[in-house]
Amino acid sequence: MISAQNIIKTYGNKTKKTQILNNISLTIADRSFTVILGASGSGKSTLLNILSGLERPDSGSIRYADTDITFLSDSQLTEFRKEKIGFVFQQYYLLPNMTAEQNIRMGADLAGNPDYRETIRAVGLENERKKYPDELSGGEQQRVSIARALAKKPDFLFLDEPTGALDEKTGRQILAYIADIHQRCGVTMILVTHNQNIAEMADTVIRMNSGRIETEQKNQTKKTAYEIAW
Amino acid sequence: MIVGIKDTVKLIGITIVACCAVFVCTLFLSYNADLAEIENDITAQTGQLIFQAQKATGTVTVATTGGCLGVTSLILLLFYIKNYIDIHGKQLGILKALGYPNKKIAGHFSVFGLPVFLGCLSGFLAAFLYLPTFYHIQNKENLLPEIPIGFHPLLCLLLVGAPTLLFMLLSVLYANHQLKKPVITLLKEKKETRRTLKNRNNIPFLKNLRKMTLRTKKSLPFFMAFSAFCFSAMTQMAFSMKQLASEDMAVMMIGIGLILAFTTLLLSLSTVIKGNAETLAMMRALGYPDRAGEKAVLGSYRPIAAIGFALGTGYQYCLLKLVITILYTEFDAVQNYHFSFPAFAVSLVIFLLFYEISMIIYKRKMKKLSLKTVMTE
Repeated sequence: MISAQNIIKTYGNKTKKTQILNNISLTIADRSFTVILGASGSGKSTLLNILSGLERPDSGSIRYADTDITFLSDSQLTEFRKEKIGFVFQQYYLLPNMTAEQNIRMGADLAGNPDYRETIRAVGLENERKKYPDELSGGEQQRVSIARALAKKPDFLFLDEPTGALDEKTGRQILAYIADIHQRCGVTMILVTHNQNIAEMADTVIRMNSGRIETEQKNQTKKTAYEIAW
Repeated sequence: MIVGIKDTVKLIGITIVACCAVFVCTLFLSYNADLAEIENDITAQTGQLIFQAQKATGTVTVATTGGCLGVTSLILLLFYIKNYIDIHGKQLGILKALGYPNKKIAGHFSVFGLPVFLGCLSGFLAAFLYLPTFYHIQNKENLLPEIPIGFHPLLCLLLVGAPTLLFMLLSVLYANHQLKKPVITLLKEKKETRRTLKNRNNIPFLKNLRKMTLRTKKSLPFFMAFSAFCFSAMTQMAFSMKQLASEDMAVMMIGIGLILAFTTLLLSLSTVIKGNAETLAMMRALGYPDRAGEKAVLGSYRPIAAIGFALGTGYQYCLLKLVITILYTEFDAVQNYHFSFPAFAVSLVIFLLFYEISMIIYKRKMKKLSLKTVMTE
């Protein structure tokens, strides 16, 4: 379980400060699929970065079960991310000079996972594994990015606008992969998006506005990637 | 417009190099010009020998310093312009897409002549102010008649005006050449990809990364080797001056040598770190310990720097040996030049210390950057 308490984050300098997160508290259940929804500038990506240990809050605490990650040193935080966290970003952030397989090995080697080819197969990239990122379509690149995250065998998967750069068809395919992975692997997923239709696929939806949580709701029924509107 | 005066601030390295080069060249060329004026007044044989030796020393110093530093400045400038166009490709692409002609955009790159102008001018002025002391040092034992200090406008033109114009022109021409790329290529984010390598899918990621780092961004290893080469050659040559010239001259040369060496190395280290920031940030986000990324990415440059240092050592030895053998054979006062192990050892220790300390400082700076910051830069 992830528990965040009174998170405050401010950017800027001494003369001009902008509060991005204003006293955020939330709880995310294990193995759940949570969508953090909000418009551009609402603070959702900053919240994701802080929850995942990529950034530190100005104040507040984030607990993963018994571990309060706000008290971890940089190296302990890195070790924590190595053991527990996987990331998927909107811009993929693949290493351009490495093939799809080599990019996936980046995650697999970290976890000492010799079965990374299984992951390649699972995301349907077997025929593309020797291709370089710029030889792949946007959807394929995002699948490589997902496979890289999964090859680490993380307990928590953070996805920042994973379909933001994709067309509808590819976007739906990626969402279907994500939902499938959630069901099969039982990994806790936190997905950030501005697309409220995607929220219908989640267990829990957290709506953000101007650095605050507006609402938090549980979906009684979940839709599939092909049932939601686009 | 996209290129402005503020963009030239980062070229402080070129300003320093140009300043040092012009400082040295002004001293020796002024001295040689004024020395020529009193040639007929020198009657004693010792005076004639000193005259010949000093003239030869001046010519060699100007040729090596001016030549080496000129090339260094040029490489720094072209490297910076290329990086500038790579980083600002999108904005330049938009300007091109809007219909701005290449020549008009490239014309604005002439502003990169400004740091050269400032460096040359300050070097010239500093040298002119230092001339009385320099002349006194050169004729300390009064073996030559008094040498009057003259102002040589041609020198000012050659050492300040000409380099400025040349660098302005080169900046514009090089920018124009780079801007010939299609708009779409400029608009696309620059990602260097190598496909000529054999498939290395079976190699562990970190091992693969180490190999790929050097092969994909070829300009960075070159720049690193070049800066280590400059550092090694300049510091050792400066220390060797103690053996070949007066104490005062040695102090001056060592000072200039060290400033130049540190400037070049600092520039190349910062470029190497920035050039690999994306990979390091991604590795850190995934959970690779900082040490693993640094070892695989930054560690690859260490052997390159060592090769550059060794080449610099060889180069300075051969150059000095050649100069002594060819130019000073008739002067008994100038002893034969031998390889200086103390100079080599001191240079190596300074180099290692500076290299490692700079790496630590830059790595610390890198740790403060978030993945998002690095990726969106």
